[in-house]
Formats: sequence, C-alpha cells, structure tokens
Amino acid sequence: GGAMSFLKRFPPPAEGVRHRQPDTEAVLAGRSLGSGTLYIAESRLSWLENSGVGFSLDYPTISLHAVSRDLSAYPWEHLYVMVNAKFEEEETKEAPVAEGEEEEDSDDDAEPIAEFRFVPSDKSALEAMFSAMCECQALHPDPDDEDSDNDYEGEEYDVEARELEQGDIPSFYTYEEGLLHLTAEGQATLERLEGMLAQSVSSQYNMAGVRTEDSIREFEDGMEVDIAPVVAGQFEDAEVDH
Amino acid sequence: MEVSHSVKERTIAENSLVILLQGLHGHVTTVDLRDESTATGRLANVDAFMNMRLAEVTFTDRRGAVSQLDELFVTGRNVRYVHIPDEVDIRATIERQLQAIHRVRYFGARDKGRKEFPRAKHK
Repeated sequence: GGAMSFLKRFPPPAEGVRHRQPDTEAVLAGRSLGSGTLYIAESRLSWLENSGVGFSLDYPTISLHAVSRDLSAYPWEHLYVMVNAKFEEEETKEAPVAEGEEEEDSDDDAEPIAEFRFVPSDKSALEAMFSAMCECQALHPDPDDEDSDNDYEGEEYDVEARELEQGDIPSFYTYEEGLLHLTAEGQATLERLEGMLAQSVSSQYNMAGVRTEDSIREFEDGMEVDIAPVVAGQFEDAEVDH
Repeated sequence: MEVSHSVKERTIAENSLVILLQGLHGHVTTVDLRDESTATGRLANVDAFMNMRLAEVTFTDRRGAVSQLDELFVTGRNVRYVHIPDEVDIRATIERQLQAIHRVRYFGARDKGRKEFPRAKHK
C-alpha cells in the first residue's frame, strides 16, 4: 500500500506537551498507520510515526475521546478519539474486522466523522493519556456556541470584578465599600442597627414605648440616638422603621 | 457536587441548566450525542461548557454497535440530550447546587464578601 495522503512531516511539538507516549500505534478507520509517538499538547494532538511523518488534530474538531478496554469490541486496549473531520484514505478494501469504516456513510457530508485509535504498548499509560486529553480539551471551549445566551462577558455578569472590588458600577456594595459611601446619618443608622443585632440576643429588652436611660446610647460622634425598643421575638425579622 | 474554582464557570452554571447536570455527579446517566450515538455511564464531571466525563460507559455508536468504555469525555458541543435519571429530584438538585455556589462565593473566598453580623464598633 502507500502512505495516507494526509500524513506530513513536521517537528514534534515542543511547548505545552502535557503527555508524550512513545510506542503508540495509530489506527484510522481500522487501518494501522504504523507505530510512533503520541503528543498530547495544549495546542493540538499530534502523532508522529517513527519515520517522522504524522498528523495533528485540533481539539475543537475532537467530539469525544475514551479509554477502551473492551477486547470484544477491539482486540487491544486503546485511546479512542472521534473527530469531526474527514481524512483521506487509500481506497483499498478493508478487512471485515475493521470498525468505523466511514466511506459509505450517506451523512458524511453533513457530519464527517473519523475514528482514531491510539494503541500504546504500555497499557497502563491510558489513564494519563485520557486525563491529559481532558485537560487540553477544556482549554478549547467551543467558540460558536449555539446557545448564545451565554453572553457572560458583559458588566452585568462581571462577578469576578465585584468580588475583587474592582467593578466599575457595582449594583451592590461589599461591606467595606459600603462603609465608604455612608453619610453621617447613614453611619448612625448602621451603628444603631449593629447595636440592635448585638443586643437582640441579650436579655435586656426595653419596655415598648418607654424611653429609659439605658435606651439612649452615646455614639462616638456625640449623636444621641434612640434604640427602638424591642419586644422579645416579635420583630426579629423586620426592618427597623424610624 | 463540587463547585468549580472558576468564577466565570460558576456564573455560567448558575445562570443555565448546566447547574442541573452538575448536580447529577455520581448518577448513571444516558447522554445522546450529536452523531446519534449514545453513552450510558456514571457521570463523573460536567463543566460549565457542558463537557462531560462519564465512567463505566456502555457506548452505542451511531450504527448500533455496543461496546464498553472505561472512561469517556464528550465535548459540550456534541451533547444533544441528557436523560435525567428518574430518581433525581430536579428542583432539589438545582437548589442544592445554587446553595453550594453561594457558599463558595460569599464565604469561601479569603476575606471578601459580606460579613453577616458586623461587629459593633463600641464595647
């Protein structure tokens, strides 16, 4: 036979290689491409035969990948990779045992599918290969997400900025921010409410409507503010009206 | 049930039904894929982009051939349907996930976020 026409010569990836697996056979649609090294890199998935030719797959084109140890389905444990792309192959008759033959699919034009299997000689590496691929896939989120309600880049959803207190126009304040924006009256109200919270579990309740010496508290700025009398339990959940 | 460490992913999750899928971790779930294959397995992880990882999978390819896969990762783009298991209480699951996200947001991050009971300044 001859070489698959999509095989090219290129240098192995040098950067962002999460996993490198030598002695790995690559199989496309049931046909072996030879033995080589699989490079699971952040930018793309590459396989290079020992002779130096190979191919790369871009993660956005990979629909799924899996670890197969089911020997009744395929005789060797391998990493299965399904790709949304067409790969040219030689037109030779495939052995009946070959799976995933795709020339006869009538819906190929609408949805080209190519099935690769990467069979490492070291079967124990399959877990690491699978995980490395999951990590790299996660680095390539789908750019044209059909569900484009996911417009989360706008200000409204800039939760991160708010959480870091760097948001432009927050619709709510964190505690620290809020303090900076209080007027003197607001400050006094806050302190009164704080006082109420602090006292709400204490046993000192004032008689309703009776202003006693205890109910007048002196605040740091000298302002005297009534603490509205609390009837035990009755208004625990209510906002204080004043 | 784990909440993502990414603020952006948490925001996406709480504003879409992905949050329901994230509450299905550990459940045996059937996923119909875009190419008409189906995968049934234990849901190990779903991220905000609906990328899903399943374990102990029975995979039926688009031609009907069945095989077992130890682990499967499918990109969100290629998920067509997720069958919510019968035993799952959908509303309770969503509420639980929302609570988990809010816990992380308001109490999990260092010193940030509102303090529920500010200390009184005096005394």
